[in-house]
Amino acid sequence: MNGKGLVLGALAASAALVIAYLLAGGGDYEPTAVADPCAPREWRDPEGVEEAAQQFALSALDGAACELQVSREALAVALATPESRAEFAADHGIDDGELEAAVRAGVMRAIDDAERADALAPLVADGLRVVAARLPVDEGIALIEDASELFDGAGGVIDEIGGLLP
Amino acid sequence: MAESTGRTTLAAAVGLVLADSSIVVLALPEIYRELDVSVAAVVWVLIAFNLVLALAAVPAAHAAGTIGPARLTAAGLVLFSAASLACGLAPSIEVLLAARCVQAIGGAAAVCAALELMPATYGSERRAARAWAAAGATGAALGPGVGGLLTELISWESIFLVQVPAALAFAVPLIAAARGEQRAARAPGSVRPHLAANAALALVSAALAAALFLVVLLLIEGWRLTPIAAAAAVSVLPVCSLLAAPLARRVAAVDARAAAGVILIAGGLAGLGLLPKASVLLTIPPQALVGVGLTLTLSALTEAALAGRAPQAIHGGWTIAARHAGVVAGLLVLTPIFTGDLESERDDAEAAGTAALLDSRLSPGDKLDLAERIAAQIEREGDKVPVLGPAFEPLPDDPQQRAETISLRTSIEDEIDRAATHAFSASFLIAAGFALAALIPIAIARRRIEL
Repeated sequence: MNGKGLVLGALAASAALVIAYLLAGGGDYEPTAVADPCAPREWRDPEGVEEAAQQFALSALDGAACELQVSREALAVALATPESRAEFAADHGIDDGELEAAVRAGVMRAIDDAERADALAPLVADGLRVVAARLPVDEGIALIEDASELFDGAGGVIDEIGGLLP
Repeated sequence: MAESTGRTTLAAAVGLVLADSSIVVLALPEIYRELDVSVAAVVWVLIAFNLVLALAAVPAAHAAGTIGPARLTAAGLVLFSAASLACGLAPSIEVLLAARCVQAIGGAAAVCAALELMPATYGSERRAARAWAAAGATGAALGPGVGGLLTELISWESIFLVQVPAALAFAVPLIAAARGEQRAARAPGSVRPHLAANAALALVSAALAAALFLVVLLLIEGWRLTPIAAAAAVSVLPVCSLLAAPLARRVAAVDARAAAGVILIAGGLAGLGLLPKASVLLTIPPQALVGVGLTLTLSALTEAALAGRAPQAIHGGWTIAARHAGVVAGLLVLTPIFTGDLESERDDAEAAGTAALLDSRLSPGDKLDLAERIAAQIEREGDKVPVLGPAFEPLPDDPQQRAETISLRTSIEDEIDRAATHAFSASFLIAAGFALAALIPIAIARRRIEL
């Protein structure tokens, strides 16, 4: 084999590999984008208690994250434990008052979304808004983590509202 | 020393020493776990050896003329052997790094002085130079696979401990030859090193550092393969490198071999930077190109750097200095880039995984439970790409929840694999740029009809 043939062969092999990988999607990778927490999110199948509680939690996370200008995912990880919450607050320069306000805003948004999806009656939603406006941060987080009582019949709602009051 | 024995001993000694520039690559994850250091710190196990080898090569080559090449080769191998023992017994990263530096000094002495001995056993300086370059390239290419195998079958320490008797065995016939060795006059020739060929060697070696080092990290740290599986995967490169040796012999034009090799290395690295998905099979064609390119270009550039120059040992020393300085530069440039990218991709993957978990149809109880187990698993894995499989065990009994959990696990693991693959892309593409940049000195040398 002469030198020219060797160089041309090397060029052809390299170009073939690069083109094949580009055509197969190499270089197209983008990490799965996380949704904008401030954008409205449709509730899916809000009929069941469990499903409604899930949608309530996601709406509340969206609302709180939107208020704090962070992603819903970052906030969900932050709210997992008191330690992760403190670390998150320190990293983002958020004080206790701001976090409490954000959690309340999140719960308010979840109530609005639940009412719009017919998962909560308007009367119950109004009652919950009054409670949510004075909700301590720990109770707010507990509600985000498990709101099933809210959707488990009228008795459940009344008990839950009573339990939330400071 | 018989001629054929001498050939084998010298080539094997050169291969053994230069394998050490890459042999620990597959053991790095094991070393940094056991010695409790960061990825950025453990890379110095590689950098220290290559840096000291680069710095010691030319002085060692000068010393070969004073002390005598057989004596220096033997002494270098004995020192290399003793330092290998210290590496194998090192209780801390500091001791390991110090021993690696001593190992490199012994290695530089052995490799450079061996080049002065080889023409007598190979019949001509040209054949000796070609064999010396091929032995070094083969050693560097085989290093990761052999190191991975030893790490998996025995331990990372065994990589160094097996070298102790091997280096001593190569030293024994040389000690006999060194007795009564006379100081011979060195042949006249150009003392000035071949700048273009050495510059090209440095750039190609910077690119090869990525091929040998980053591929392994991608397989073990990114895709979480075991060292033995990674060793099998990276064996493609040395196998193709060995298969390309006859091709390198059939093409006489040194400049064409050098240019073709550089183009293949750049193409292979670009392929690794553009992997369409996390699949070991897809790393095979790029590794094959790099393996063939490595054989073509390293032998051609080393021959060019030594042709018509004397003493051979000193110019050989310059090629060793250029190659290993290139490896060091490649590691120093690429390590912060890929570690930074890995961290940022890890954050993106964590966010995407959390989104998948939040949006999954698991019951709130299972979701919370799983989130806690995943967080604990990530915490346990520290700053590494996490293995999340154990966090999903045991699977829920309810068939619907079970199917949902399996689907979620697949989706999160796929996200992590894609993110880890992408984290290495920029480094591979920059390394491809190093390889292409080597075409400039090759072209300059060709114009001067020096190659």
